[in-house]
Amino acid sequence: MVTEEKKKELLEKLRTAVISYDEDTSKEAAQEALDVGMEANDAIFNGLVSGMVEVGRMFEAQEYFVPELLMCADALYAGLDILKPHVKQLDLGVKGSVVIGTVEGDVHDIGKNIVKMMFDVAGFTVYDLGRDVPLDKFVAEQLRTDSDLVCLSAMMTTTMTGMKKVIDDLRAKNPNVKIMIGGAPVSQDVADKYGADGYAKDATNALKDAINMIASLKKMKDEVEAKKAK
Amino acid sequence: MTTLNSRERVLKLFAGEEVDRPPCFSGMGNVTTEGLKSLNQKFAATHLDARMMAAAAVSTYKLFGFEGAVAPFDLCIEAEAMGCEINVYAHSEDLLYPTIKKKLIHNEAEMEIAIPSDITTRGRVPLMVETIKLMKKDIGAEAVVGSYVLGPFTLAGQVMELNDLLKLSFKKPDKIGKLLDQLTDVIIQVAGQYEKAGVDFITVREMGATSDVLSPRVFKGLILPYLQKIFAKIKVPSVIHICGKTNDIVPAMADSGAKAISVDQKNDVAETRKKLGPKALVFGNYDPYNVLVAGTPDLVRQTIRKCMDDGVSAVWPGCDIWPTVPAENFKTMMDEVRKYRR
Repeated sequence: MVTEEKKKELLEKLRTAVISYDEDTSKEAAQEALDVGMEANDAIFNGLVSGMVEVGRMFEAQEYFVPELLMCADALYAGLDILKPHVKQLDLGVKGSVVIGTVEGDVHDIGKNIVKMMFDVAGFTVYDLGRDVPLDKFVAEQLRTDSDLVCLSAMMTTTMTGMKKVIDDLRAKNPNVKIMIGGAPVSQDVADKYGADGYAKDATNALKDAINMIASLKKMKDEVEAKKAK
Repeated sequence: MTTLNSRERVLKLFAGEEVDRPPCFSGMGNVTTEGLKSLNQKFAATHLDARMMAAAAVSTYKLFGFEGAVAPFDLCIEAEAMGCEINVYAHSEDLLYPTIKKKLIHNEAEMEIAIPSDITTRGRVPLMVETIKLMKKDIGAEAVVGSYVLGPFTLAGQVMELNDLLKLSFKKPDKIGKLLDQLTDVIIQVAGQYEKAGVDFITVREMGATSDVLSPRVFKGLILPYLQKIFAKIKVPSVIHICGKTNDIVPAMADSGAKAISVDQKNDVAETRKKLGPKALVFGNYDPYNVLVAGTPDLVRQTIRKCMDDGVSAVWPGCDIWPTVPAENFKTMMDEVRKYRR
């Protein structure tokens, strides 16, 4: 049985590895966590994600910029790849599958990839269509996978308007699907006008939204566990 | 003061002379669907034909009195000349701007590249030269004709994976510096061709270096020296454009050697004006989509008025003007600028 002290030490090691974008340490700590018998979920949420939350704060405070963010994400994935196969499936009452991609004409996918990472962490099934995705493909993929959520990203004003078409088509085919849009030129106004359910204003907000989502998932997880304990 | 025509107004401004009011123009794409409609042209075809490109580029001046004309409309000219494959979305009826389909550098190991020695005769560079000549011939006496090149960092983002570029500029700045140096040479050569063709001004678009993405420290240390090298070579009036967050880097932008700096709606222009003083040329900074395309005429009027009250030297959009701008909004903007007196 792993001691509280050891557990704390490893969580801190995972957290720091993400913050200091240290892939090797992240891998090492993830493996160690498994070796000593820690719950993979615990290591992911209270170690890796906790580090990413701090990275989000630093990004917002302009201590970190996109390059640092990308390197932190690499460190997170390094640990996540080791831990993920050991995650016990949680029944969260959320189906959690998402179609994500950057709209046609736009080849910028960094923001999209950061949001995708957070879905990966949260255990969603992610159907990543990549970048410069023909508009019809979003609709076809949502229907094929029956996903709950479709995330559209556009980095430039010059491609943003394509999102309106996708949203209209999605709504016509499946009124219940949730749609989130994001990217530099997108605003709440645009989201409202285009009929999206949510929007992430920029990388900061996308990250924050994704973290919020995970925080609420975490809360649900805790509630589920509290019920079990009773 | 005798009435200035648009060309005189802009050139006087660049020369640091007094003008009656801020001109209203742009150094970035400003083709409109109204313009394309009047010419019966498809957007996708416009990028590949000098006559069509020139006609589309001058149409905004002709229809609305916008005080300058700019070509090209996409951001792929330099990368294409270097050997990247582009996609013009020829199949599409939508307004899609050409993008890079195939990059030159796919990972760190491929960063040693050779720049073709005949860069100025490759891709669409000759087409651009032809286009500029046609634009000059058409409206050159009345309004300025401009073009743009990418900044070295933004061009690097076109020829290599952005993910790698951003991480390596942090992890291995020497390697990125070497590439930026090569790209700087490409940019200088392309800009030189545009000058020979007769452009009145050149904008260098370095939007990849915005503080939304990169720290001011990396901008100043890694990118600014190459921008300075570029602006030292450009002989016509020049503008440095960076969008997104720029308040922390406007002094560095002013330090690049460009005649004017261009910022978007995220910049606090009143603060920038204070920082740079009354003489600095600051162009900006209305939101070309949310205000000009999607806003009401009232919002357009207020926004344009605020730009001028904040102290812009020229009323100028934060990015390319999205083509579907309603004619009424465009006219409202022009009216608001024309009646403005400081």
